[in-house]
Amino acid sequence: MRRLCLLLSLCFTLPGFTARANAGGIAFVIDSAGAAVSVIDMATQKEVRRIPTLREPHHLILSPDGRSLLVGDTTGNQIMFLDPNTGEVKQRVPVTDPYQLAFSPNGKFLTVNGLARNQVDVYDAATMKLVKRFPVVATPSHLAYSPDSSIVFVSLQDSDKLAAFDLRTMTPKWTVPVGKTPAGVLWLNGKVLVADMGTDYIAVVDPETGKVLEHVETGKGAHNLFLSPDRKILWVNNRAGGTTVSMDAATLKPIRTYAIPGGPDDMDFAPNGKIWITRRWAEKVAVLDPATGTFETIEVGRSPHGLFLNPKGPAPAVVSSR
Amino acid sequence: MGDPFDLAAGWLQENLLIPALYQFGLMNWEDVSYNWALFALYGAAQVAVTFAVCLPLEHWRPVERWPDSKAVGVDVLYTVLSRVGILPLVTYVLFYRAQVSVSGWMTDQGWVPPTLEGLFPALLGQQVLTFVLYAVILDFSDFLRHFLSHQFRWWWALHSLHHAQRQMTFWSDDRNHVLDDLIAFVWFGVIALLIGVPPLQFPLLVLMLRFLESLSHANVRLSFGWLGDRLLISPRFHRAHHGVLGAGDRSCNYGSVLPWWDMLFRTADFSRDYVPTGDPSGEEALATGTWTQQQMAGLRRFARAFGRSHVRYGA
Ligand SMILES: [Zn+2]
Ligand SMILES: [Zn+2]
Repeated sequence: MRRLCLLLSLCFTLPGFTARANAGGIAFVIDSAGAAVSVIDMATQKEVRRIPTLREPHHLILSPDGRSLLVGDTTGNQIMFLDPNTGEVKQRVPVTDPYQLAFSPNGKFLTVNGLARNQVDVYDAATMKLVKRFPVVATPSHLAYSPDSSIVFVSLQDSDKLAAFDLRTMTPKWTVPVGKTPAGVLWLNGKVLVADMGTDYIAVVDPETGKVLEHVETGKGAHNLFLSPDRKILWVNNRAGGTTVSMDAATLKPIRTYAIPGGPDDMDFAPNGKIWITRRWAEKVAVLDPATGTFETIEVGRSPHGLFLNPKGPAPAVVSSR
Repeated sequence: MGDPFDLAAGWLQENLLIPALYQFGLMNWEDVSYNWALFALYGAAQVAVTFAVCLPLEHWRPVERWPDSKAVGVDVLYTVLSRVGILPLVTYVLFYRAQVSVSGWMTDQGWVPPTLEGLFPALLGQQVLTFVLYAVILDFSDFLRHFLSHQFRWWWALHSLHHAQRQMTFWSDDRNHVLDDLIAFVWFGVIALLIGVPPLQFPLLVLMLRFLESLSHANVRLSFGWLGDRLLISPRFHRAHHGVLGAGDRSCNYGSVLPWWDMLFRTADFSRDYVPTGDPSGEEALATGTWTQQQMAGLRRFARAFGRSHVRYGA
């Protein structure tokens, strides 16, 4: 098997062989319980190695300059900076309880949700200095920004609320009920969408007032939301239903429902049109072909959570097979 | 491949727990439910492995034979409660969240909670070695806690419940007063905070340690030999701690898995040979009562401990 892989990778690197373009690509999948980040060769769809973290990583995000991949280690209280092309650990910065994290579209701020500590921390992205801490009523989970970077929206999972914080004045804007156990948050067409995990719908929220404008049914336990790179399709993972739903991003009309068992969670889009989805309780990543509705499976660590694809990166080197 | 425990817990989560949580509007507990499923499965495996090994051992060379083993039943209940049932859930909800909260607070003060891996970066990625080091430190902290629980009147009042059993078997490891368990949790929590114990990273090795602790209570004539007994705690060694003469503050052999701390602090006694167990100074309910009666008797003794202080306990 190893010899076959070697042979194949040799073929891809032969001059004149035009498959060069898809020979590269490196993917990172976080293993929360295993305290590691799995490095996956996107071409072979195999885990090639694991990067140990300290305790319990959950999510990861690319820095605005594209040079670092930030991995939040919650109980380890640190953010690990990885080289997104090689997976090399560049730096470890102490940060309190980094659960979800995201840079503002203008690249100025890094917002870090401290889920266990009921706090939303806004860092200066350039210096990693804490600018402002917003205490919240409960468990800040997911977040999204307005496109002008003026507001960050945070779902407070154990309450029924969504909170908005004004980043120009660094003041809380509003905290309002949006539905049971709100999780994923996404800005779409001038509205904020919130997936309500305790129900089977997403709430469409007015960003100015926090008023819920309408509910759109997606499936039991609506958990996380993603917009396709062409911004045409909204993808929703449903926790209790074990499904992934594609919807028209303009009309919010459902297009197709795919069965993804094992707690579909995070998602990313490959250039070949396939969609990578972590299956939280199955130790696997699903690589879904939206056209056929079938998915391939990649074996990863104990509890796959955050996911990041770097299709332009080189194929990762095999350091050690596990 | 995959870890069978993770996959089984995932199956429980997907097919039983999540549907139930969704039905009752409790989806915010979904993380807790998965971890509980994992704890419970490991607990069930611990009980099953212990049962499969210890039961034949106890039949093979029992130290004591009893006309009836009525008092053993309650120990089975203690074991199930603490390994499969409610205790893992409480541990996770209370302990884990508190630990995250406190360590986060310390990070804010500019003090990063230390970890062994932080002190020795070479350990990062050396999972088994790291675990062994953590296990040794935790075993020492447990030795200290156990030793102290024999020194204070109020604490011994609680811990004497563990010693009251005259029909000691491999089930007896988990028979503790709930307050004593609570103290142990807090104790462990503080140590975990000081050295940064990874909670769920090494469940299989934890399973092995728990097995050894259960085995050390087994009603079996089993020693690991002169050298073996000085490397790992055997049923013979721990039985001496449970001996009627070992009750109270003049006991010996306080260790759980490693006898090294007893040897270091000169509390080891390798000479006592399969002595009868129990605590003659405690009321009968502590030994043969129901679960509730034992807990209440422990509480009464605990309350009395704050009264007259001139009466010493133990034999
Ligand atoms: Zn004792
Ligand atoms: Zn004991």
